[in-house]
Amino acid sequence: MRFFDSHVHMVSRTTDDYQRMAAAGVAAIIEPSFWQGQPRTEVGTFKDYFNSLIGFERFRASQFGIKHYCTIGLNPKEANNEKLAEAVMELMPLYICKEGVVGIGEIGYDDQSKMEEKYLIRQAEMALEADLPIQIHTPHRDKKKGTNRTMDVLVDVGVSPDKVIIDHNNEETVKEVLDRGFWAAFTIYPHTKLGNERMVDLMLEYGAEKIVVDSAADWGISDPLAVPKTAALMKERGVTIEEIEKVTYHNPLAAYGQSGQVEESDWEDHEGIDATALFEGNTLFRGGQDIDEAMSQYLIE
Amino acid sequence: MRDTLLAALSASASADAVSWLRGQISELSENFEKHPFYYAFSGVSRRFDKAATIQSENETIVGWDEFRTARVALLLVLAEKDKDTFLESFSAVLNTADIREQIALFSALRWMRHQEDLVESAVDGLRSNIVDIYDSIALDNPFPQEHFTDEAWNQMVLKAIFISRPLHRIHGIEARRNQALAEAISDLAHERWAAGRLITPEAWRSCIGFIDERIAGDIAKMAESENPDDRAAAALVVAEEESGKLESRKTTLADELSKIEIGDLSWKSLGQEMEDKIIRKSLT
Ligand SMILES: [Zn+2]
Repeated sequence: MRFFDSHVHMVSRTTDDYQRMAAAGVAAIIEPSFWQGQPRTEVGTFKDYFNSLIGFERFRASQFGIKHYCTIGLNPKEANNEKLAEAVMELMPLYICKEGVVGIGEIGYDDQSKMEEKYLIRQAEMALEADLPIQIHTPHRDKKKGTNRTMDVLVDVGVSPDKVIIDHNNEETVKEVLDRGFWAAFTIYPHTKLGNERMVDLMLEYGAEKIVVDSAADWGISDPLAVPKTAALMKERGVTIEEIEKVTYHNPLAAYGQSGQVEESDWEDHEGIDATALFEGNTLFRGGQDIDEAMSQYLIE
Repeated sequence: MRDTLLAALSASASADAVSWLRGQISELSENFEKHPFYYAFSGVSRRFDKAATIQSENETIVGWDEFRTARVALLLVLAEKDKDTFLESFSAVLNTADIREQIALFSALRWMRHQEDLVESAVDGLRSNIVDIYDSIALDNPFPQEHFTDEAWNQMVLKAIFISRPLHRIHGIEARRNQALAEAISDLAHERWAAGRLITPEAWRSCIGFIDERIAGDIAKMAESENPDDRAAAALVVAEEESGKLESRKTTLADELSKIEIGDLSWKSLGQEMEDKIIRKSLT
């Protein structure tokens, strides 16, 4: 099976991760712009970060036969630094129409502050202007209220729910998100938040329509194989292959495909791994990795 | 030039894409604003086909892809603006450019105004590890010849030799020969030989006119090489060198020299042959 992980922060991951993802069938990924752990204080670091998303990270992924896309945005945590946020707003128009940029994201609320709202609105307007999907980060604290408030704001701006992927959903938020016509993405986290058994239960209840599963693997404890592992568990628990393919591949492709910047032929025509292209003399390959071992424990608790 | 680019695109791209581009060009010509320019420049990727190869009567753009062609057409609009606007937007776009965008920007240099202000960007672009970006500045581009200092020029040529690029496509490869470059090429050759590796035979072209004892020895080594490309290069050097320091090589290279005489061998023919070999298999 092949997978499309629509939320994974590869700048924080190693080449081992890339190897295991490729071996487990991850064909394409989306890397949302996000907080880097250490708060940025200068707009120049945003520029270099965005440049790496459209440049070196894309190349790095290609070395493992994985097609890399990204979303561009100012995350809510750093939106609270107004001077910086304004500078990033000036920078974003240079990036959002670029090749392989499949949306504005991840944006939304963290503390649900006034500043966060201001830049959520500004970026939603930018997405409208550039006709791009929006990838929404929902807050971890006070999630239900924050999720509903995000949807209200987006509808007010005039964004069509069909163009918005609301991420980090749980049992409490999913119903309203789907009822209002938004895409509902679920991030599978090890140890906390949402394990993949709960994800399977959610699927058994809500089906596969407009549901997306992703890993959101980043610099914290997380699992870049979360999507293939969850697919394996779904299969074991009796979810149909068709439904599994929907939530781990076809749905994210349809949602972000609205950008016109990603289609299946981007990787279907791909002649395997492109180890010599573009960055001459900079091959990243090392020895193989035992994927069977990595996948043997596919239950994420 | 803009008409040439648009005509070539009309023959290749969809009518919708070309009419979009024409619309952007006329709008930006009348009323230039930064954000619409950024959207248009990067948004070329949403409308054109990067795999399509341009055909044209203008040799410069033959083989370009549609992205590069359309973006250069947009840059020609930017070039008509006042100096501050031009430099601000050119560098904003360059500093945030992806690979194909950089290729378009560097390809457009020759048609830009205020070229003296763009030299540093071109020199910096050559530091890229990405061969396609390097090529867009160094090959088939008159800009380095016209604007680079000797130091920058020599770095560019040495890197071309280092990464096996076709030297015959560097504008001014003959006119900008200099002593320091000739010596550096000889040094590089000795390093390569010590490591049991080769150097592209085209490199010796840059040593003509600067033959000292050591380089004369290098040419002698080439003249006696088993590799016909090395002998061809040695003959081309011997035929052109006017100092008389290589006269004694003429007998060894009689066959190659007669080929040169009847027009069967030139730096261009050797360069093209090397280019074919580079594509098939790196010299190193
Ligand atoms: Zn994230």
